[in-house]
Amino acid sequence: MIGSTLFYAQRLSAIFLLGYTVWLSSFFLFNQPLEFDAWSVFTDQILFLIITSLVSLIIVIHSFIGLWTIGTDYFTSRTLGFVSPAIGKYANIIRGAYSLLFVFWGCVVIFILLFTIWS
Amino acid sequence: MSINHNRARPVFINLLQIKLPISAISSITHRLAGIYIFFVTLPLSLILLYFSTKSYNDFMFISALLKDSIFFSTFVAFSFLVFAYHILTGVRHLLQDMHIGESLEASRVSSYIVFFLWFVLVAAVIWRILL
Repeated sequence: MIGSTLFYAQRLSAIFLLGYTVWLSSFFLFNQPLEFDAWSVFTDQILFLIITSLVSLIIVIHSFIGLWTIGTDYFTSRTLGFVSPAIGKYANIIRGAYSLLFVFWGCVVIFILLFTIWS
Repeated sequence: MSINHNRARPVFINLLQIKLPISAISSITHRLAGIYIFFVTLPLSLILLYFSTKSYNDFMFISALLKDSIFFSTFVAFSFLVFAYHILTGVRHLLQDMHIGESLEASRVSSYIVFFLWFVLVAAVIWRILL
C-alpha cells in the first residue's frame, strides 16, 4: 500500500471518529442526569447499531495505522538502542511481539464490541 | 567517502536526552494517549456499554459504582480525559494537515491552546467529581 493512502485513511477515519464522539457526547450532554430508559432507547435504535458497527471497522483502520507508525518509529534497533544497546539488538523481535499484541487485542475488542451491541 | 561515515556523523536525536519543544511534546503525548486509549479506554468503554445496556439493575449498579467508588470514578474520568486529550491534539494535527497554523510560531501557540483547553476540561471534571 502506498504511503499517501495510509495518510488519508488515518485522517479520514479520524474525522469520522471525531464526528461519532461529538454525536455521543452531545447525547450525554443533553441527557443529564443519564437515565436507563433514554440510554437504552438510544443504543437500541438501528442508526446507533449501524454507525457503531461502522465505527468498529474505522477504529481498526485508525488504530492499526497509528500503532504501526509508533512501532516502526520507536521500536527500531536505533531508537531502542538509545535506551540500551542490548535491547536494541532485539528490536525486530520486540516490534513483532508488539504488533502481534495490538492485532490480537484489536480483534478481541472489536469482537466484543460487535457482540455487545448486536446481542 | 569512507564506509563508516555514518558512525562519524554527530547524530543526536536521543528522545530521552534532548529538550523537546512544546509542539513535539504535544505530538508525542498524542501518540502515548493513543496507545492508552487503545489498551485501556476502549475496553473500559466496552465494559461500561455492555453493563449499562444489559439491564436496568446493571445500569444502576454501574452508576452507583461511579458515585460511590472514588477509585473507579477517577479511573473512568482519567481514561476519558486521555481520550479528550487525544481528540484535542488530533484536531490540531488535522488542521495542520490542512495547512492551517503550520508555521513554527502558530504551532507553538496552538500547542499551548490545546494544553489550556485540556486543563480547563480536567478542572471541570474534577469539580464535577468532587461536588
